[in-house]
Amino acid sequence: MDYGQSLLITLPEIILSIGGLVLLLVAAWSGAKATRAVSISAVALLVAAGVATLCYTGDAFGALYSGDQFSDFGHVLIYIAAAISLMIAPRFFQRAGLARAEYPILILYACVGMGMMVSATDFLTLYIGLELNSLAAYVLASFLRTDERSAEAGLKYFVLGALASGILLFGMSLVYGFTGSTSFVAVLGSLGGGMETGALFGIVFVLAGLAFKISAVPFHMWTPDVYEGAPTPVTAFFASAPKVAATALTVRVAVDAFGTQTLAWQQIIIFIALASIILGGVAAIGQTNLKRLLAYSSINNIGFLLIGLAAGTQEGISAVLVYLSIYVAMTLGSFACIMQLRGPDGEPREELSDIAGLSQTNKGLALAMAIFMFSLAGIPPLFGFWGKVVVFDAAIGAGLLPLAVIGIAASVIGAFYYIKIVKLMYFDESRTVLQTGDGKALAWIGAIMALLVSPLGYFSIPLLGGFANNAASALF
Amino acid sequence: MIQTFAFYLFATIVLLSGAFTIFAKNPVHSVLWLILAFFNAAGLMVLAGAEFIAMLLVIVYVGAVAVLFLFVVMMLDIDFAELRAGFARYLFFGIVLAVFLAIELVLGLEAFRAGAIKLGTATSAPVDAAVPNLEAIGALLYTKYVFLFEAAGLILLVAMIGAIVLTHRKRSGTRPQNVAKQVRRRPQDAVRNLTPEIGQGVDL
Amino acid sequence: MIQIIVFLPLLAAIVAGLANRSIGNVPAKVLTTGALFVSCALSWPIFLAFMSGNESAYVQPVMTWVRSGGFDFDWALRVDTLTAVMLVVITSVSALVHLYSWGYMDEDPDQPRFFAYLSLFTFAMLMLVTADNLVQMFFGWEGVGLASYLLIGFWFRKPSASAAAIKAFVVNRVGDLGFMLGIFGVFLVFGTVSIPEILVAAPDQAGSSIGFLGLRVDTMSLLCILLFIGAMGKSAQLGLHTWLPDAMEGPTPVSALIHAATMVTAGVFMVCRLSPLFETSQFALNFVTIVGATTAIFAATIGLVQTDIKRVIAYSTCSQLGYMFFAAGVGAYGAAMFHLFTHAFFKALLFLGAGSVIHAMHHEQDMRFYGGLRKQIPVTFWGMMAGTLAITGVGIVGLGGFAGFYSKDAIIEVAFAADAPYAGYAWFMGVSAALLTSFYSWRLMFLTFWGKPRWADSEHIQHAIHGHHNDVDHATHAHEEAAADNPPAQEDAGSAPHAHAADAEQLPDGTGGYHPHESPLSMLIPLIVLSVGAVFAGFVFHNFFVEPETAGAFWQGSLAFNEPLMHAMHEVPTWVKWSSTAAMLLGLLVAALMYLRETDAPRQVAENLSPLYKFLLNKWYFDELYTLIFVRPAFWFGRIFWKGGDKGVIDRFGPDGVANVVRSSSGLAVRFQSGYLYSYALVMLLGLVGLVTWVMVR
Repeated sequence: MDYGQSLLITLPEIILSIGGLVLLLVAAWSGAKATRAVSISAVALLVAAGVATLCYTGDAFGALYSGDQFSDFGHVLIYIAAAISLMIAPRFFQRAGLARAEYPILILYACVGMGMMVSATDFLTLYIGLELNSLAAYVLASFLRTDERSAEAGLKYFVLGALASGILLFGMSLVYGFTGSTSFVAVLGSLGGGMETGALFGIVFVLAGLAFKISAVPFHMWTPDVYEGAPTPVTAFFASAPKVAATALTVRVAVDAFGTQTLAWQQIIIFIALASIILGGVAAIGQTNLKRLLAYSSINNIGFLLIGLAAGTQEGISAVLVYLSIYVAMTLGSFACIMQLRGPDGEPREELSDIAGLSQTNKGLALAMAIFMFSLAGIPPLFGFWGKVVVFDAAIGAGLLPLAVIGIAASVIGAFYYIKIVKLMYFDESRTVLQTGDGKALAWIGAIMALLVSPLGYFSIPLLGGFANNAASALF
Repeated sequence: MIQTFAFYLFATIVLLSGAFTIFAKNPVHSVLWLILAFFNAAGLMVLAGAEFIAMLLVIVYVGAVAVLFLFVVMMLDIDFAELRAGFARYLFFGIVLAVFLAIELVLGLEAFRAGAIKLGTATSAPVDAAVPNLEAIGALLYTKYVFLFEAAGLILLVAMIGAIVLTHRKRSGTRPQNVAKQVRRRPQDAVRNLTPEIGQGVDL
Repeated sequence: MIQIIVFLPLLAAIVAGLANRSIGNVPAKVLTTGALFVSCALSWPIFLAFMSGNESAYVQPVMTWVRSGGFDFDWALRVDTLTAVMLVVITSVSALVHLYSWGYMDEDPDQPRFFAYLSLFTFAMLMLVTADNLVQMFFGWEGVGLASYLLIGFWFRKPSASAAAIKAFVVNRVGDLGFMLGIFGVFLVFGTVSIPEILVAAPDQAGSSIGFLGLRVDTMSLLCILLFIGAMGKSAQLGLHTWLPDAMEGPTPVSALIHAATMVTAGVFMVCRLSPLFETSQFALNFVTIVGATTAIFAATIGLVQTDIKRVIAYSTCSQLGYMFFAAGVGAYGAAMFHLFTHAFFKALLFLGAGSVIHAMHHEQDMRFYGGLRKQIPVTFWGMMAGTLAITGVGIVGLGGFAGFYSKDAIIEVAFAADAPYAGYAWFMGVSAALLTSFYSWRLMFLTFWGKPRWADSEHIQHAIHGHHNDVDHATHAHEEAAADNPPAQEDAGSAPHAHAADAEQLPDGTGGYHPHESPLSMLIPLIVLSVGAVFAGFVFHNFFVEPETAGAFWQGSLAFNEPLMHAMHEVPTWVKWSSTAAMLLGLLVAALMYLRETDAPRQVAENLSPLYKFLLNKWYFDELYTLIFVRPAFWFGRIFWKGGDKGVIDRFGPDGVANVVRSSSGLAVRFQSGYLYSYALVMLLGLVGLVTWVMVR
């Protein structure tokens, strides 16, 4: 094992870890004053780590960590999402009186964990990365410690997360016991020669534990509560970067570790996907809180992502990555829009009724929001449509025609509440006094994301599709 | 023979004490049952030849974690009766679910048959009996698994940051220690050597 | 060149229609009118080239349309003599109508929209006549139908206009269904929709039979009749004519362009274009003859008693189209096209003249409230006079006459000369209709321009007087028309309504103090130009269209020109030649007698022949009959399907049912989301156990 090479390949994690430590010292020394500087440095560190990701490829530390193109794709997407989560946050926390330098640092460590997740080629790496990310996430969820809902969100997330970790660990130990290794390659080889029921149970438990992280039905119950309770920038972060990491991780486990037993997990994934699409659509209809609504929206979207995984083919994985990228843009944009809604005293507003008549008070914001909603609903010509197309195309290509048909039919349910938001904004009278707009950062991010998911996004198809294909080919 | 007997003894007690941990009405009792479970688990580890982990269980889990639990449980003002209300409500359903899962696992793993379960063969290198446990673990942790070891350290760091972020607050009116000032202080700043007259040593 | 002619109006329509009010009235009008005049100026050279024999038929491809196995055709513009004739008719009348509309629509708030529709119509009509295949023809066919719908309903705030627009559209659908089936059948039989290929292949199919609705029928007869049903709808022939009178709800320029000169003649054009196809089926030709001849007489009888000036002309149009069809039916396609050509000029003239009268009379359309307008609006009077002379076919045999004299008399003579089975019937009906035509045309003239003014009782005029004579909004005024529409009076139009007699006495001159003004120049120029056409078109062009020696060379085979028949036409006995002139004179005399001398006579006739009068006034009860046979059952079926089928079954178990399921399951999902940790954990574990169970029992 060449340590030098290994360190270079894991350079992004090392940069973030050491950088995080330095920033922690700065934060400890100068307290809240340094928040701005720390945030900026954190973004710079993410950029550096992103560059470092692309510079080196290969396996590191035996078979613990893989810096292949798939992990590059995941890393870059995660870093972008994390950087945006950092940029939209400062004003929110300032207004809450809790602008603290620990926020960017926790995000950085969450990114270290997520980086390990997408690169994991060993169950141990998988677990440690997952826990690192989760632990940071629990703290972030209750970051507004003066807010009861935030504290409750953190606690719920923590307890249920522990349960999920238990399930995952149990599954991993079963897999280890019945295959004799924690390395994906070894597991793949061992399963290739036939599978004991114990290993099958292990697969089910592992997938259940991962399903919790991606908040797929029926392991989704924490999502609405945590999304609603957590501070909005943190919710935006939860909905983007960890989703990418967990999805990528699930894909890698399914393909790299259990790829020789596709039939064993395909039906599980199909069930989870359909349940997520349907429940994500159905339950969202009854919601009155925008963040809760977006929580169900993320559940719904995870369902579509899993359809690509269920295909189990290279196109399927490529489609998952394309969909993920578009989803990240859509969801971050939506949150950037929601964060611009404030009451007369500057307090954040996040109820569905607050958005009524928005088109009269702030045309640009309403338009951006409408673009995101239509895109999330997958209505052409917006870019969200393309994500669904590639996913369903892959499913049909893999012979899963009924799945695709049901998925498309169920996506109609989701369209209902997305379009309801648009209807509220454009056709209803405003009932609350609302300030809108909150600094340039939010407006810019909202506008850029809106541009990305607008029909202009189709110009990025060759590029995005090319990267996604490369990344997917690394797994096969 | 004695080993087999010891295994079943420890294993049974681990399971039972685990169950009692859950079902005990008094949380202090729960923690005590937990400590018993840890001890027996340590016994199992000794049987498996992992003395280091056995000692670790006793020292870390029993000595630190469980004792901390006890303190917390005793210090917190929690209405346990209220907590148990939900417990009772879901008890039946929970037990059914647990039994169901257990039966499935037993059936699935074919653990009901006599003889060993068909486990996979370990791909890692066989343990050299001559090398002490501690040394072997250390060698692995600082070579093959150094990356994960460090990452685990990061988890602890994050946990620490989290604990501080969530609980630390600046209190006004307190007079914290100024370590630097203390260290900087020389004897000549603080100590006066005097030879007072009798009866005049104290200024009244 | 042909591309410019066809697509320039489309371009103008798009620009004017999309920009609408943002570019203002004048630019939109200048653009559309200019485009049409350019098209017109480019069309005449083509026509003249065909007249001089210097040009032969060609096809100008535009682009590929459909390539799907054997179904294979392009957008292509076909230019031959037949097309050239239609080109000049369409572009000339359309250009003049555009110009006319400057004055007529001057006060309307939606002028860009109106002009855009007019130009769009022109484009569609040009597409129809330049079609090289049936699908393209169908495209134009539907395009003109759409434009017609939009223009009839132009004043859509007026309920009667909307209803008329829908009626026109729906009745045309019936015809279009026939046309579509015809196209499908043609493709089935010939394997192509290209018109030249069909015409070449048609004779080979004569006598073959085909299964249709479970019967064996003659192939060519079936195809021709299906196609002809389409023509009947568009050209308002008996049975499918009911929409045309109602279409008069649209602005008058529209009536002139679409419902007189161009669109309604599309059916005739189609029959002529496909004449070699029709020639293969005597049965179909007989059908065409009977329908045409019957329509000619039927519409003329109704025209006798109508009091609305536009409706009279509308029934007249219907009747004249009947002439064209029976001419085609007896094999004289040249004569049919000739009448189409002259009719376009004099009927557009009559409509525009009527529009001018209506304009002068403040949107009063009821002829009973006209009278004595000769002096007030002389240019309009002389224009209408030219049109009336043309339509009644005034002329002297052997010397010459107005346009209708050449074209209509040619049709009557050829019907006599032809030895087709029903030609005799057609001839008799033609002469009778000529008599009636003469009567109602002169009745219109006498009621409008002669006699004493009877304006005082008109609500429109009253409104104008009390509205201080000035600027009552043109459009709003028009919209009120529906409300003010006079119910069909029981007495004939000739006598002033009794109820108003007392009022009339108060103002002995009957003007009510209102003085009509002549229309602006933009409306008079088209009248003058069309008058020239109405007077000279027959004399100038009859050599090319119908004379046996020269017409064959003119048509160049673009329609089935029957030279022996045309020769026979000249050989008919002299009394036949005079018969139509006699009928015309008789009609004139009776009209003069009843409306100039014995002005009480019409009322007496109406009372004495009350049942007949009512029968005619109610348009042979066609609308009532259709309501009874088709509309009511259709509504009944519709209601059953709507309430029972759609709402009761499809909605209930479909969208509404799904929505209810979604709503209730949403409630369930929300209830599950209790907020309690242990229920969340329970769901997770349930899911886990469920999955494990599933993989075990699988």
